[in-house]
Amino acid sequence: MTGGGELIRRMAAGDRDAFARFYDRYAALVYPVVLRIVRDAADAGDVVQEVFWESWQGAAAYDPARGSAEAWLFTRARTRAIDRVRAVRRRGETFVAPVDEGLAAAPAAPDAATQAEDRSIVMRALERLPDAQREVIELAYYRGLTQTEIAARLAQPLGTVKTRLRLALERLREVVKPT
Amino acid sequence: MSTMHEPFDTLAQLHAMAALDGDELRQFEAHVAAGCARCEAAMRETEETLARAAMGGPPTAPPAEIRATLLRRVGASRRPRPVRFMRWAIGTAAAAVAAAVLSGVYVAARYEARLGEMAREQARVKEALARNELALREQTAFYRSAVELLRDPATRVVELHGQPAAPAAVARVVWHDTSGGLLFAANLPPAPAGKAYELWTIAGAAPRAAGVFAPDATGRATLTVPAPPPGQPVKVFAVTLEPAAGVDAPTGPMVLASK
Repeated sequence: MTGGGELIRRMAAGDRDAFARFYDRYAALVYPVVLRIVRDAADAGDVVQEVFWESWQGAAAYDPARGSAEAWLFTRARTRAIDRVRAVRRRGETFVAPVDEGLAAAPAAPDAATQAEDRSIVMRALERLPDAQREVIELAYYRGLTQTEIAARLAQPLGTVKTRLRLALERLREVVKPT
Repeated sequence: MSTMHEPFDTLAQLHAMAALDGDELRQFEAHVAAGCARCEAAMRETEETLARAAMGGPPTAPPAEIRATLLRRVGASRRPRPVRFMRWAIGTAAAAVAAAVLSGVYVAARYEARLGEMAREQARVKEALARNELALREQTAFYRSAVELLRDPATRVVELHGQPAAPAAVARVVWHDTSGGLLFAANLPPAPAGKAYELWTIAGAAPRAAGVFAPDATGRATLTVPAPPPGQPVKVFAVTLEPAAGVDAPTGPMVLASK
């Protein structure tokens, strides 16, 4: 299977088929993340289109030495999605779902059998975090709140929020570590 | 060195999560702008972790029309030109910032200006409407009182003739001895600045001031004339040119007079 990095290199050379393959490989993985952040199907569709269009236009800027194709794409997707959420929030649509809602929606702890599969393990990486860490990651990654906003939201000292974010990230890193 | 760097390790992770803000964001950006391989590596590693965690969820395909639209756009686009990374990144970032700032400020300023203009325009229209409505109402009341007056058999029409100061001027007073009346004048020369025409009713020896008026652009004027004191029927009507505020006794040249 052609690697994501190789597809991007071909896109940079103007290979439109490579773009179609790139889209087919990643769109279904990017879309749920964007949707979870922007929480609106139409907005999510816009963001996904914007992200892949930028990938086509900016393919020549991809430097494999600086990171994987996945990180390149997901960082952009997440950034665009958060931009959208923050723009909506600035427009005065101040509704932000209560913290518990996102957490309550998370599936219950996985049983041993489902953990066997790679993707399931990664998928549940977030759910396996202690509640306090999962909460801050949820607010930062999926709600686009900054550390100060999270501290205010949770009525916790800024230092506590930072520590939780750092610990959560370390736990995630252990779980998703390439084998 | 490593102890001095320690706070930046955490900041790099937070920055990769887009959670940094305030002074720390500015400090960190300055630190990285000066060149810090360690922070860049930390940010990259965090991005890898977050990407792997994020893409691990159950796949959901976006609506099919997004793929179709993208392939159409890509098919119609020119081949992207390879650009050196830094030039591209700096150029893109600078252009994006400039565009965001410029368009945001420009659009806001334009809309504010436009909104202000619209509000002022609306106020002008409202004011003009109110003026017109008031003028129409006064006019209607005036003509209604004329009709009422003419219906009364005791009403008479008195002719006023132009005097040497304004030989072409003519006027009629529709007059009722107990209700008062209305003056209709025409061919009046425009009153000089600071001056106006004043109507006088003469019953006995002294003329009584009966109202100040100015002709319109066509030289016409109308005036409601108050009822005279009881038992003092008006014998003569006269119009003189007076200071615009009006005076108690005539001082200026006579313009119109009844016989």
